[in-house]
Amino acid sequence: MAHETTTDTTAETLEFSTFYVGGALCGINILHIQEINKNVDITQVPQAADYVKGILNLRGRIVTIIDLGAKLGLEPVTETKDNRNIIVNSEDEHIGLLVDAISDVVSASRDAIEPSPSNIGAIRGKFFTGVLKTEKHLIGILDIDEVLKE
Amino acid sequence: MFEDDETLQMYIEESLEHLGDIESDLLTIEEAGKDIDLDLVNNVFRAAHSIKGGAGFMGLTTIKELAHHLENVLGLIRNQELIPDSNRISVLLKGFDQLESLLNHIQTSNETDISHHIQALEKITHSSVPEEKQDMVDQMVDIVLTDGRIFQQISMYEIDRSKSEGKNLFLVEYDLINDIHRKGKNPIEILRNLQKTGTIIDARIDCDYVGTLEDQGPSPVRIPLQVLFASIIEYDMAETLFDISDRYIHAVSDEMLVASDTALPGVQPSAMQARESVAPHREQATGAPESVSVGKSPAPEDIPAAAASADTEQPSKAEGRSSENELQLGQKTQSSLRVNVGLLDTLMNLAGELVLGRNQLLQGVNSANTKATELSSQRIDMITSELQEAIMRTRMQPIANILNKFSRVVRDMSHQLGKSIDLQIIGKEVELDKTILEAINDPLTHLVRNSVDHGIETPMEREQMGKDATGTITLKAFHDAGQVNLIISDDGRGLVPEKIAKAAIAKGLVTDQQVAEMSEKAKMELIFLPGFSTAKEVTDVSGRGVGMDVVVTNIQSLGGIIELDSTPGQGTDIQIKLPLTLAIIPSQITSVGKERYALPQVNLKELLRIPAAQVKDKIEKVGDAAVVRLRGELLPLLNLSQMLGIEKTFVDPETSEEQKDRRKNLADRRSKKHLTAEDPAGSAPVEEHEERSGKDRRYRASSAMNIAVVSAGAFKYGLVVDQLHDSEEIVVKPVGRHLKKCTAYAGATIMGDGKVALILDISNLAQMAELATVSEVGQMALTTEDDTGKNKDRAALLTFKNTDTGHFAAPLNLVERIERIKTADIEQIGGRKVVQYRGGALPLYELSQVADVDSLPEKELQEVIVFKVKNRELGLMVTPPVDTMEVVLNVDETTLKQPAISGSMIINGHTTLLVDIFEMVKMLNPDWFAREALAAAEMAKNGEKILLFAEDSAFFRNQVKKYLEEDGFKIIEAEDGLLAWELLKERGDDIDLVVTDLEMPNMDGFELTRRIKNDPRFSHLKVIALTSLASDAHIEKGKSVGIDDYEIKLDREKLMTVIRQHLNLSR
Repeated sequence: MAHETTTDTTAETLEFSTFYVGGALCGINILHIQEINKNVDITQVPQAADYVKGILNLRGRIVTIIDLGAKLGLEPVTETKDNRNIIVNSEDEHIGLLVDAISDVVSASRDAIEPSPSNIGAIRGKFFTGVLKTEKHLIGILDIDEVLKE
Repeated sequence: MFEDDETLQMYIEESLEHLGDIESDLLTIEEAGKDIDLDLVNNVFRAAHSIKGGAGFMGLTTIKELAHHLENVLGLIRNQELIPDSNRISVLLKGFDQLESLLNHIQTSNETDISHHIQALEKITHSSVPEEKQDMVDQMVDIVLTDGRIFQQISMYEIDRSKSEGKNLFLVEYDLINDIHRKGKNPIEILRNLQKTGTIIDARIDCDYVGTLEDQGPSPVRIPLQVLFASIIEYDMAETLFDISDRYIHAVSDEMLVASDTALPGVQPSAMQARESVAPHREQATGAPESVSVGKSPAPEDIPAAAASADTEQPSKAEGRSSENELQLGQKTQSSLRVNVGLLDTLMNLAGELVLGRNQLLQGVNSANTKATELSSQRIDMITSELQEAIMRTRMQPIANILNKFSRVVRDMSHQLGKSIDLQIIGKEVELDKTILEAINDPLTHLVRNSVDHGIETPMEREQMGKDATGTITLKAFHDAGQVNLIISDDGRGLVPEKIAKAAIAKGLVTDQQVAEMSEKAKMELIFLPGFSTAKEVTDVSGRGVGMDVVVTNIQSLGGIIELDSTPGQGTDIQIKLPLTLAIIPSQITSVGKERYALPQVNLKELLRIPAAQVKDKIEKVGDAAVVRLRGELLPLLNLSQMLGIEKTFVDPETSEEQKDRRKNLADRRSKKHLTAEDPAGSAPVEEHEERSGKDRRYRASSAMNIAVVSAGAFKYGLVVDQLHDSEEIVVKPVGRHLKKCTAYAGATIMGDGKVALILDISNLAQMAELATVSEVGQMALTTEDDTGKNKDRAALLTFKNTDTGHFAAPLNLVERIERIKTADIEQIGGRKVVQYRGGALPLYELSQVADVDSLPEKELQEVIVFKVKNRELGLMVTPPVDTMEVVLNVDETTLKQPAISGSMIINGHTTLLVDIFEMVKMLNPDWFAREALAAAEMAKNGEKILLFAEDSAFFRNQVKKYLEEDGFKIIEAEDGLLAWELLKERGDDIDLVVTDLEMPNMDGFELTRRIKNDPRFSHLKVIALTSLASDAHIEKGKSVGIDDYEIKLDREKLMTVIRQHLNLSR
């Protein structure tokens, strides 16, 4: 039995990095995440879409920083000391997601993820691949490619 | 098929390289005709031959087949049995094209149908081969070895040819495992070595005799590679040459040749051969699977797949697959680049130096030795520059790579179109970055095709025009000012501006009015508009529905510039300027607000700094647009911060209202600059010294206006920025997909401090600002200066409205300023309206006071055009928009004529009334002109002065005549220079002064003046020239022929003053 469970988890356990944006707790599959940093040296891009916070230099690469709050149709992320950029890899491009604050890494088996409802809080359901219910929280698992669609 | 990727790749690359020069070689052969250059033919022959040799070994049957037939024809040419005329060369060229395409799509090559090429080639071989050898061409023989094995299907003709050259035939059996693989050799190399000593007739892998595991003997498993080889080497030397046991070297004697039962019937050889070679393999593969798994035999493994795909897949499917393959293989072939070993050594050297430099730097830093650190940083700086240059050089490729193929394009097209064209290529050695080279290929092809199709006439047309029947197209590449220039010129029919304009109007791209205002050059440049194509019908030669606009976009996206110059009947020159590379570009760094922006140096013309004290004088506001007068040219200004909507994130210490006021006066820079200097966040460490200097004389420094004068294509404008920094070489980095829609930027770069700066796209910025019309005006001003010979009168007008519907215009040169005043400030004194203005009272009028037009509506703010007449200012209240425009004066003086309105014309689709400012002033303030009336009366008393006035435009003639007559002069009019000259000869004694227009038909003002000044009868006469725009070049030219004075048309007051001066009349 024990043996069976181990094989099960290696195949089916997923890890999510969770974070707060606009009051909601969201998660991204940790395998999608390149790094998490706190880089305040953002160059603003006038005339870009509202949700584009700016661009920054990530070791010689130009990375677009997206205000995840604004992108998901919530309030734009307010500047605090807890702000972080989550650098994800989407369509062969590094893109930074500016979030309010970073929370824990949560692991869960694939089965524990339930299909997403039509909306989570004020965020539309299409941005999620599913929801994860933990003892304390409800974590919305973001569909990165959907979120980053122009 | 052979699956060893590396070997296959090597073969493909090598073959493509062989093919690279073939085209130009063949064309040279064609040109030489009978006088065959044997070296050249041998070159091509060898290329075909090596490709064939490799193909046999790789199992690429179709390629082998085609190469073989090509080789046959070339062999005939080499032996001077065939004269390479242009038809035959065409067949060869097409064959080699097909060969190249087969090589590029190697995975599907065996399924490709090449029968029509084979047929065409066979027709050539047949026609030339002497009767008795005719059979041999088709005849196939098998070689039967002593042990009973058969080497199948050899062309008898080739064997015969080798024999006739006195060569011995060998069938050599290499063993891929023991002779090649275990000895660390490479099959391609072996074949190549063999070619040095003889000719490979055929090469195959003999799969039928691949040994099996059950085989006994010293080498249980072998994969024979059979090479049929012809060489002058004697049999006894052969063993040393081939480096294999003589057991496997078979001398081929006549007895071994047995006629093959399947003589090739001509049409289906490729399919037949392919199947034949595949079939036994498949048998083998299924029959002896063990051997496949043990022997390192890639060939059989692939056969079932290849055969299966050949059997099942429809051609369309195969195509789909081929594109897939192309993708994979395409990337492979592209990913390698030949680099000079010397250059690699240099790179290695520099890398070593860099490591040393780093060590020094670390040492210096660790020991806190400033001197050492400084030294090493200098060193690293130098090495980096060198390294950069060396790496750049690896990417540089001669432009010959793409220019050479145009000989073929021109040749094929001229044949097709029945034209005779000579192509000259100059500057093949000029090098360009690989990416740019690839990117300009299509635009260039388009331009060359255009020249051939539309530019050069047919020989008959040319002879009728008195030109050489053979047209010339020149492709010239050269370096200039850090850029590569490409000029495509032809001596064809050239572009006819009127025809282009007509076509553009017919297509609805421009309006009649717009065209009327265009210069010849601007009309020609209409072909750059999207949706324009001059070809009457879309031919398969040059028109594919895409036009010059695509060419322009492509070139602009590379940071290049395209210019057009054409003389009808003489030819067309198209000049393209390209940067050497795209990766690193020199740029001017500027800043607005907190951010820095890079401005590519290519676009930068000059930097302007207008001191605070002069901002008001130099910056003018025309309508909503600000302009700066730069050496007599009006330059539209774009304010970058407004364009991009950069928000001020810092607190404004002054009241916002004051700022608003300033902005209206265009001195808004003051407050903004002020803030930037004070805002600590805005001054990054690099800007420290500027910050300091800003503090010292903050007021002055911060009020000045910094303008970068830039140009991109048709646009030229001034970009207003907060600060100008250094010029730097920046590395262009792409921006993410979310920013693709922001067309204002060409990319981003990382600055020395690690922050990102955006690179501005000058051409897109202009488009965003809808600058087109303004810049067209500017351009027109430029072109008119050049167009001395043209006889159209242009004038700069200020257009405005009276009420919302009535359009009016007045000569721009009388306009002092445009102001906006509060209606509440207007005072009524003595029945007149005045406003306090610059310490005085400015009288205000509106058009309804003098002309029969509606009176102005009541508004809170009132736009006032300030005119200066007789040294006094007066304001005309109008309704915006106020704009400047340069137009060809084509005035209707009768229909809408009324007091103070000299006539009407159509500007931008509106009937516009021309206001006669002088008449207006005269009506409003007759006393201002009292002196003139007096002078006129005096002159009438003392005897009239007679002026000869030459002017082609009826409008100007009447206008000027009216002024002059009002002042008491008598006028003799002439419609052009020639008439004036005749009149002068007739009545020379009566005339006191000559006033002439410069641009006139038949004889222009320059010529008229020259005649007057060179004729002793008239040389005493003063000549005053009237012109719409006086450029320095004009004035210079005028002086050289003897023009005494220049006056601007419609500036009545000055003209009168000058005339009086020259006639020594008192005022």
